[in-house]
Amino acid sequence: MNDIDALTIHREPRLQSSSMVVGWSEDAGRLGPTVIDHLCRTMGCEEFAEIEPVGFFQLSGVSIEDDVAQFPDSKFYYSEDKSLVLFKSSPPRADWHRFVTTVLQVAEQYCHVKELYTLGAMVYFGAHTAPRQLLAIANSPQIKEALGPYTLARGMNYETPPGQRPTLGAYLQWACKSRGILGASIWVPIPFYLVATEDPRACRKMVEFLDSRLGLDFDFAGLDQDIVRQDEKIAQVRLRFPEVDDAIRKLEGNLGLTEEENEKLVAEIADFLKRRD
Amino acid sequence: MAVKLYKEPELENPVMIACWPGIGNVGVMAVDTLRVALEAEEFGEIEPWDFFYPKKAVIRDGELKDLEFPACKFYYKRTGTQDLIFFVAEEQPTEAGKTYAEGTKAYRMANLVLDVAVKFGCVRVYTSGAAVAPVHHTARSRVWAVPNNEELTGEVSRYENTVLMSDIEGRRGQGNITGLNGLVLGVAKRRGIEAICVMGEVPVYFQGLPFHYPKASKSVLEVLTAVLGISIELGGIEALIERSERDIELLYETLPAEMKEQLDRFRDATHAETSEPGPITDEDKKRILEDIDQFFKKGSGEDET
Repeated sequence: MNDIDALTIHREPRLQSSSMVVGWSEDAGRLGPTVIDHLCRTMGCEEFAEIEPVGFFQLSGVSIEDDVAQFPDSKFYYSEDKSLVLFKSSPPRADWHRFVTTVLQVAEQYCHVKELYTLGAMVYFGAHTAPRQLLAIANSPQIKEALGPYTLARGMNYETPPGQRPTLGAYLQWACKSRGILGASIWVPIPFYLVATEDPRACRKMVEFLDSRLGLDFDFAGLDQDIVRQDEKIAQVRLRFPEVDDAIRKLEGNLGLTEEENEKLVAEIADFLKRRD
Repeated sequence: MAVKLYKEPELENPVMIACWPGIGNVGVMAVDTLRVALEAEEFGEIEPWDFFYPKKAVIRDGELKDLEFPACKFYYKRTGTQDLIFFVAEEQPTEAGKTYAEGTKAYRMANLVLDVAVKFGCVRVYTSGAAVAPVHHTARSRVWAVPNNEELTGEVSRYENTVLMSDIEGRRGQGNITGLNGLVLGVAKRRGIEAICVMGEVPVYFQGLPFHYPKASKSVLEVLTAVLGISIELGGIEALIERSERDIELLYETLPAEMKEQLDRFRDATHAETSEPGPITDEDKKRILEDIDQFFKKGSGEDET
């Protein structure tokens, strides 16, 4: 299958100089899909293309999550008004190179993308109420400099340890770099006990940056409601389970937890937050 | 997906020697030792991104500086007696969830390697790997050799310390070679290119363990150098053998007495004749492997033959 076969274009957007935001659907705290969904809804973005799953995913059936059958999905959305392109996708299981090439084919040929941001969530052992610092990994000195005015940590040094692999986001940024597209991975910390559920605070932090950088004029009302709703739920858990309250208090006081306390916190929070209202 | 050549050396009837990682790292250690000893010069590569996932991201001061991919490089050497081309890959191209090269990508890579062999007029291709065998780690590794045409069997049978599949107990000339070692042999046959796979014996109880087994590499190296009429210094690989034997003995000492007793039975099993009943039955072998797997809490690995 060649690149053209992998791609279905429903309509061709008229974009001359756009920015692209990429979110992966299997992110910690569902960061990628939640941010993209909020942007898509609030900005009134429309779907215009998708990547066919054949060759990238094991199509041997469906997985079931939270009682619902899931299927890999790789879709592009756009807003002409905001010169914004969104890509939300399950991370491919195979043939990353062809997948990334296909994404950038859409970015370059159909959308004339000049800047591309990949969203990432990193697990941290702190409380959900603690202030979050975004981390940026730029793919060129120009974009690093352009990100200077924003509140981002920009001095990371890292090498993939032996036995591990770089992320798909790093692959995409490297491919952008080789094509002259400016880009950066933007990472937000997610408390370990929210990894399996959602973290609207982390989403807000990420959207704040995108709003500011891309001039989106984003309405945060929906995200703020999500934060209030989750805070209420976590308050209920803390009330009902004193050991959860103790654990979060310790984290808020920058104290470490025992392995048992960690496990208990993760289990209780995930169980409670995943319950249907 | 392409071969990138930095230069096109003029070579006379070269022989290609190809290797990639596998059990005990036998092939890579043998071929790379030869390549390094001969100071072969790099002249090309197979572009890796269509075959492999990146192996390392390098971030400096908040900037993605590089994404490193497993290398697949070609080298050449004019030795005076025999011109050589080496192909050394850091990984085998695998499909999702598979341990060894198979499928479309592996087939494409095998063809790209042979495209280079054809371009430079290679008269023969050697591939190299491990043969998982019911032998003891104190025994000298033999070399199992599999040619891709019948005319080569006579020549191969004259190699020192080398056996054909029909020489091996219970094999009756049959077997499988998994991964690129097998694919290159098969694709070469399809394209009318002489090829021989030489595999150093690795004790069956090491097959799933993450050990290098330089003893098998040395046996392969001895065969290759003899066939090619080349002499190299083996001090480096002998030092590796000494170190690995010390490590193995240390590990051996940690095994329960009953397991050691079972493994010691492989001393007697080594190189048994077909007509003789082996001292270890298939049932024994199965039990020993299960015990070893359990001991190291490892799943059973795949073998190359």
